[in-house]
Amino acid sequence: MSNFSARTGKRRIRAGSFSLNRFSPGTETVFHLVLALFSLICIIPFVFVIIISFSSEESIRQIGYSFTPLSWGTEAYAYTFQLGDALWRSYFNSFLITIIGTALSVTITVLYAYPLFRKDYRFRGFFNFLSFFTMIFGGGLVPTFVICKSVLGLNDNYAALIVPMLFSPFNVIIMRTFLRTTVPMELIESATIDGSGEYRTLFRIVLPIMKPGIATIALLVALGYWNEWFLSLLYLNKNMNIMPLQYLLMRMQRNADFLAKNSSMLGADATKAAATLPSQTLKMALVVFIVIPIACAYPFFQRYVIAGLTVGSVKG
Amino acid sequence: MKKFLSLILALAMILSVCGLAQADELPVITIMFHGSNVTDDTAVLEKVNEYIADKVGAKLEVIWGTWGDFDEKAVDALVSSDAGVDMVFTCSWSADEYNSFARKGYFVKLDELIEQYGAELKAAIPESLMQAATIEGADGKGIYAVNGFKDTATQNTWDINVTLLNELGYTVDDVKNLGFFGWNEIFAKAKEVKGDSFYPFLVEPMVAERMVTNSIIVAGDSGSVNLLSLYLNPDDVSAEGTYGSTLLNKFATPEYKAFVDQMHKYYEAGYIDPALSVAETSNDARTNHQKEASYLIGTQSYAYGYEYSADVLARGVEVTFLPCTEAYVDATASQGAMVAINSASEHPVESFKFLALLNSDPTLMTLLNYGVEGIHYNLNDEGLVVFTEARASYSPWTNGMGNVTILPDTETEGKGFREAFRAYYAGAKSIPVPSFVFDNSAVSSQMASLANVAAQYALALDCGAVDPETELPKFIDALNAAGMEAYLAEANAQLAAYLGK
Repeated sequence: MSNFSARTGKRRIRAGSFSLNRFSPGTETVFHLVLALFSLICIIPFVFVIIISFSSEESIRQIGYSFTPLSWGTEAYAYTFQLGDALWRSYFNSFLITIIGTALSVTITVLYAYPLFRKDYRFRGFFNFLSFFTMIFGGGLVPTFVICKSVLGLNDNYAALIVPMLFSPFNVIIMRTFLRTTVPMELIESATIDGSGEYRTLFRIVLPIMKPGIATIALLVALGYWNEWFLSLLYLNKNMNIMPLQYLLMRMQRNADFLAKNSSMLGADATKAAATLPSQTLKMALVVFIVIPIACAYPFFQRYVIAGLTVGSVKG
Repeated sequence: MKKFLSLILALAMILSVCGLAQADELPVITIMFHGSNVTDDTAVLEKVNEYIADKVGAKLEVIWGTWGDFDEKAVDALVSSDAGVDMVFTCSWSADEYNSFARKGYFVKLDELIEQYGAELKAAIPESLMQAATIEGADGKGIYAVNGFKDTATQNTWDINVTLLNELGYTVDDVKNLGFFGWNEIFAKAKEVKGDSFYPFLVEPMVAERMVTNSIIVAGDSGSVNLLSLYLNPDDVSAEGTYGSTLLNKFATPEYKAFVDQMHKYYEAGYIDPALSVAETSNDARTNHQKEASYLIGTQSYAYGYEYSADVLARGVEVTFLPCTEAYVDATASQGAMVAINSASEHPVESFKFLALLNSDPTLMTLLNYGVEGIHYNLNDEGLVVFTEARASYSPWTNGMGNVTILPDTETEGKGFREAFRAYYAGAKSIPVPSFVFDNSAVSSQMASLANVAAQYALALDCGAVDPETELPKFIDALNAAGMEAYLAEANAQLAAYLGK
């Protein structure tokens, strides 16, 4: 008996203490439904892509894309493995570019954002303005292209795919704001008093607190690098060996588009060329190849990203 | 710091010395070939460089662009004055459109070079092609690109699945005699025999429109959806058509109305695959139907000998191409594939020598186009080219290279093919305004908005997917609101000036 009453008592306390934060069951159901729907909207396209990649060509020809294809097939995957070198090389390139790019970009962002956050840094205003200015006024595509290619020599090399995206003022602002809300100046002051140099303060004391911020930025940057194909389009001409996976896929898509658009100008040539293009299922199989690694990376970042989102939100 | 600087200086000196040492070697010239399917060019380029070392005095480097690069890469290279690309493809319909880019000064004027080094080139290419390439450019009237001798005349054909047609009890003559407006019974029969999911009429809607109304592509018109029509005389392409040499709003003529009315009837009756009426799926659907030969009558812009090509043979049925008109030379075809020299190039002379050789020397053309004998192809007893499996890793776009009439015959084409090809196009008649190219720069903003309107309506109308009674008037109103009148007036003023010359 005593056991029972204690339990109900506990329950009462629990209900009482949480009642302020709890929604009514009706509202909660609605919220759950909305969230469930939203998740479905996010997941369904990907599931659809997987289904299409496993559909047989035959089925796509007859009924188009469908959740329930007439027959299944793995020709697309068999074909991707036949692509052999080209596929694996561009897969490797994508990883290489993403990893190096993310590491460098995060380092630069941290090193730039940290002084901007320090109120005792004299040229704070100037450097703030310098990065903020480029956010509003860009150089434009053609001048950027010419400078990168002719002046900086970003042409047909890995650097061309990494360097143009290294610095993002937006990320610096996020990082600066993050530092402002999480790292108290007193901490730095006390570190200085204890005899810590600037580098030690940054790397030993501030950096561990910054982890959620770094993870957020790293995720943003990594996604950016992983999905990037435009730089390859601009800067790769001869050296197709360093082409990332996204560009490989983009090229297939662009080939098909071009032929569709110009078939009347190219005449028989277009028909001939279109016959050699990869199938719909192959494109979807490549999309699967592209999505899987980044989808696998999410869970590792997620913990920090959520922490990064909420940290500092209750500060006045 | 000083030490560091001096180290860098020392490094820079060493590098520049290395650079000087290399300067003794042959200069490297670079050409960009589009539409390529090339993964391994080492064997070919080794041979090519061996061959041209004395004749051209340069080493060749090739950028193998794909179809998707077509519109940007050459433009990028030219606009950024990139001296790393010496030669680029240009034509009347690519993004680096020949006439406008020559006017803007991106191409080297070739007249003097032709005078000096082009005797063999002149002998290899018909005079008419040289004429077609002669335009007003940045450095005055002259030739700004080497014009490729390929299928230099336009001809649209009905692509007929003869095997199926005979099965239904008809002949090619029936198709010809009944004509586009009378194919109802044949289609009905096909539908009856092959079942409800069979679509007998496989159209490329925009091409079908030109075929039925006998209109041509006006070079310089909006590329994505043509807005202007110039009607030909189907019985004699060199004579003027019903409207004379006047440009018309493509969508406002009785001919167009008749065409879309008939297409709508065919579409309603279920003779046309709905996938063809959607821009995104249209080409894929067409290719697939062709591959499977699941059609009865289709449309095809034709090049001589297309029936012998691998993809037609692979359909596994007998195919005939029934021409709508004889082949005619217009600006689209006669400026259809050219190679120009980048005005930023550091080696224009070597580049030109190379182009002249490529267009007149069968050995070099064959090497670059078909690959190395013994690796990419072998010659059979009759001396015909038989491709090997290695060809898969080296198959550039044949027609984009230049004079394809000097290529050897292949086994599928048969002996004498290239000779017949050459005769076919050398003898093609010109339309009354063969080299007229519309310079749309004065009305480019109207063109952009007109093209947007047309993109919304034209494909669905051409394919018969929407009712012309309700949609066509709306379409024409929208075009007029977007500035069709000014566009048309400018085009006709230019045509009048062209004819007045």
